[in-house]
Amino acid sequence: MVILEARDLNISYGQQRAVLDVSFQVPERTILAMIGPSGCGKSTILRTFNRMNDFVTGAKVTGEVLFRGADIYAKSADPVLIRRQIGMVFQKPNPFPSSIRKNITWGPKINGYQGDLDKLVEESLRRAALWDEVRNKLDDSGLALSGGQQQRLCIARAIAMDPDVILMDEPCSALDPASTLKIERLMSELKERFTIMIVTHNMQQARRISDLTAFMYQGELVELGPTDEVFEAPQKELTRDYVSGRFG
Amino acid sequence: MSPGEHTMTANAVSAKKSDAEAVRSAWRPRLELRRLQGRLFFFATLTAILFALGALVFLMSSIWIDGNESLSIEFLMSFPSRFAAKAGIKSALYGSAWIAVLTAAFAVPIGVGAALYLEEFAEDSKLRRVIDINIANLAGVPSIVYGMLGLAVFVRFMALDRSLIAGAMTMSILILPIIIVASREALKAVPRSIRLAAYGLGATNWQTVRAHVLPSAMPGIMTGIILSMSRATGETAPLIMIGALSYIAFTPTSPMDSFTVLPIQVFNWANRPQEEFHALAAGGIVVLLGVLLATNAIAIVIRYRYQRKSSW
Repeated sequence: MVILEARDLNISYGQQRAVLDVSFQVPERTILAMIGPSGCGKSTILRTFNRMNDFVTGAKVTGEVLFRGADIYAKSADPVLIRRQIGMVFQKPNPFPSSIRKNITWGPKINGYQGDLDKLVEESLRRAALWDEVRNKLDDSGLALSGGQQQRLCIARAIAMDPDVILMDEPCSALDPASTLKIERLMSELKERFTIMIVTHNMQQARRISDLTAFMYQGELVELGPTDEVFEAPQKELTRDYVSGRFG
Repeated sequence: MSPGEHTMTANAVSAKKSDAEAVRSAWRPRLELRRLQGRLFFFATLTAILFALGALVFLMSSIWIDGNESLSIEFLMSFPSRFAAKAGIKSALYGSAWIAVLTAAFAVPIGVGAALYLEEFAEDSKLRRVIDINIANLAGVPSIVYGMLGLAVFVRFMALDRSLIAGAMTMSILILPIIIVASREALKAVPRSIRLAAYGLGATNWQTVRAHVLPSAMPGIMTGIILSMSRATGETAPLIMIGALSYIAFTPTSPMDSFTVLPIQVFNWANRPQEEFHALAAGGIVVLLGVLLATNAIAIVIRYRYQRKSSW
């Protein structure tokens, strides 16, 4: 079943056109990796799916962006509700400057979560593979953790909202290989429950973790298909050159 | 290897050599001169701070010498009098405290609220930019102008008379631009990543501001409030303008009472021909400085608490 879809999506910043006529679909409970050289528009597309582009001055979105068939840019769509259902993990770990526990509980609290918060904290941290490292210091500041732990805390924070989709914008680019590996392992487990869209500069990472890969170049979607096919037998010359490392 | 080839190589080598020399000669490190510049600048800045500190120390010590004899419990607890020996600053002290508290009560919520609106909620528009420029300009308007405004609007038009509340409202208008500008700078300095993290969890604008932006900006906002409150406590001209009296032989009991404040009392004593009153003026200045330092110290402690809680 299709959970996310873009139809003739165009995004521009002022005069500059960042995304050109992009259409694609993402099935439920899959990992879609978006690859392409810097400035190709992949992060811009990612941010349209939970209306984070609203905070970029001058960003203009045309076309349709559908979440379970409903246009999230429709007048009646509420960006607050959309972001509650489509979570996000950012490039740089950005925990709140408060305790690990509060980092997890704040989102559910403000969205009216009625369940047991302690249980939610433990469950979310377990699923983010961070519980064993922080179980004894839940009241320490989230900022006291290492970069890799901070990023897993941010993932736990996103999971705690029980979203349908998690968007990840180069979540490992600021992390060392060991932390990256932990997060990659984590993602294949998260797939059981969530749909994940991830932007990455690391082609090996895309290959290791994703079911589908989208290759973008200069604002256009060049190719989208099962990851194996995109890497082993790409349809387009441009894709082949990029995945074989000839440019980029 | 043929001889021709050999010559070519030799040529190439010598060409390379002269290239390298050319490159080297294009650099003039002049380390001595650069270090000298550094030392000169060091001494220039050192002189600047010594001048500033020296002037302050001179001022403080001369006031202390002139004023310490008039300092006593009686001085603090007596009303002003025609007789220098019996005169005190009780009513001025109370008046200043009233003005400070009332001014803070008006100016802090309005100032911080206005800053929040401009920084966090207002859409970017031409009107907003006009407001931006004007607020910055208002911070530079001479205080006497605010005094005239207070006289016309609060004292006359709103018929508040020469009361504490009229004085505090005038002072509030005076320090509002300072609070707004400082608070906006503090709000601007909150990292964007924190806001995005909150929005990404389905927070509304207000929830984001309330839970993350405001606490993070609090130390900076507190700094603005401290600065502006010091300004309000030391400012004299607007209160003279709205008619705060210098001879008050009672302590105000309600915001509608007439009042005097420390700087006005000092000004009044300093204007008298008699030598003894000049000593009282110096004593009053010492008390005023003491009050300012004490409030600043309290505010700095509060700020420090906040800073520790929310540093990243």
